[in-house]
Amino acid sequence: MSRADLAAGKVIRMSLPFRVQHLLLAILLTVLAVTGFALMYHENSLAQWLIRMEGGVHNRGIVHRIAAVLLMANLVHHVFYMLFSREGKPELRQLFITKRDIDDFLQSLRYNLGTATEYPPFGRYGYKEKFQYWGAAAGIVLISLTGLMLWGEEFSMRLFPKFVLDLAIIIHGYQGLLAFLVLFLWHLYNVHLHPSVFPMNPSWITGKVSVEWLREEHPLEYEKLKEEGVL
Amino acid sequence: MRKFALAAVLFALGWGGLPGLPRDASASISLEKCTLCHGKPEFRKLLVDGQIRDLFVTGDTLKGSVHGKKGCTDCHFDVSEIPHLVRPRRVTCTHCHFRGNQEGAPQSDNVLAYFDSAHGKAIAQGNTKAPLCQDCHGSHAILKAKDPGSKVARVNVAETCGKCHMEIYAQYKGSIHGTALAKGIVEVPSCTGCHGEHKIYAHTDPKSTIFATHVSEQCSKCHSSIAIMGKFGIETEQVATYKESFHGVASQFGSRTVANCSSCHGVHDIRPPDDPLSTVNLKNVPKTCGKCHPGANPNFAVGKIHVDAKKKESGIIYWTATFFKWLTIGTMLALIAHIFLDMYGRTRRLRGER
Repeated sequence: MSRADLAAGKVIRMSLPFRVQHLLLAILLTVLAVTGFALMYHENSLAQWLIRMEGGVHNRGIVHRIAAVLLMANLVHHVFYMLFSREGKPELRQLFITKRDIDDFLQSLRYNLGTATEYPPFGRYGYKEKFQYWGAAAGIVLISLTGLMLWGEEFSMRLFPKFVLDLAIIIHGYQGLLAFLVLFLWHLYNVHLHPSVFPMNPSWITGKVSVEWLREEHPLEYEKLKEEGVL
Repeated sequence: MRKFALAAVLFALGWGGLPGLPRDASASISLEKCTLCHGKPEFRKLLVDGQIRDLFVTGDTLKGSVHGKKGCTDCHFDVSEIPHLVRPRRVTCTHCHFRGNQEGAPQSDNVLAYFDSAHGKAIAQGNTKAPLCQDCHGSHAILKAKDPGSKVARVNVAETCGKCHMEIYAQYKGSIHGTALAKGIVEVPSCTGCHGEHKIYAHTDPKSTIFATHVSEQCSKCHSSIAIMGKFGIETEQVATYKESFHGVASQFGSRTVANCSSCHGVHDIRPPDDPLSTVNLKNVPKTCGKCHPGANPNFAVGKIHVDAKKKESGIIYWTATFFKWLTIGTMLALIAHIFLDMYGRTRRLRGER
């Protein structure tokens, strides 16, 4: 964290490697959604237009698979980064869901409903970030596995009967829809419409958030930085 | 191309006249003169290949046919003197049968459609075995297609086509469509039901009704109709489930290599699935799928092919789809509820701070 940032009241929340991983994930998920839903809803005229834009149903599949391979590579890289890099290891530790997150969630519910007086203070990652992170990770793993099964359908059919592949299609499509809707809505609220960040939390591009915002939304992280003498 | 084909055909037939030119009425020769020779029952000719050509004709020959009121030289108009010194040419139906004719023949463009078809083009290219009008419709005993006695009536047309397309006719006769037709079921398609009547094209021609990307559309004309299929207890969902499948989607977007109905069910030899000879009999499914998916094994036959995730009968597939549907709806509702609660709580928090 540079002195200039601190002087301007900013702290780094997303380092460059994470910003790159996040941006790649965002672009690839968008490509996968556009090519995937065009096939899933092929009777829709917008979907048909999309398939034409994507160069026909065959090229659509190629684009979808290239994006999928890049996404899986991004995921593998991320796993290694979180497990073995100097920056990743402490991040991963802070992302584990603990009993405290469940309590925080219930506490915030009670607070929001008016039966509790204290809103739970969050550390670097609150329950919202953690649920989103692990939900997306599980979703991507599931959708990657079913996608690989469908890609190598002749190999899959050697191992599984036909109805397993039918199941894979169902899971792949619906899981994609679920992930897309959750990511869309969740980001729309937490990154754009949430009053503390409206119109957008720029940290996914600049990596920085204001010290004021950190104190408000992640007070425990703020305290910690203060104790460490960073702030 | 169509005009060229027309001209080429007319040239091949050695006919210089154009349709529509008035015929010389004085050239008409009475029936009595023709039957002087043709009226003898033994009047026949031994052909070069050893076949006998029966030349026996009486005043009753045209009786009952659509040409009942026509005379011999109305069609055999190149005969102008009796006895004719040369063999009369093959009859050219286009003399009367074209749109705008004054002879009372039906006003239709079928003749133009024919010239554009696989048969018409073969004739134009000099294939003497390709059929002319009379090869299908008959010569003297021409009846309307609706008449069950007509050679081109639905119940007879397969036999008529089978005169040349013998192997295909044999396959068709053994198929579910052929056996049903033999039982007198009129809904069933005969040759023309799928291939068209005059506009018959090779299956490799994109104009053809049975071109790879048109096959499913052609089959679904009947197979998606509850009115027709209901009579025979056949389900109509096969068309919809095919369209939803990877095969169906690829076909709709123009893939020519992807499986259509006949890739799996067969073409002229379509049989019901419980028939051991059927290509979609469970025992034959691996072999049928293996045509495109090398190494297809019995796994291909485990699980319904035309599966519909929206139907309870699909079992685990239905339940998984339903689970995901409610999971998605539930998650979205929970998320939205959470967002609104969060906003509400946050407003209170800010108010408290103030």
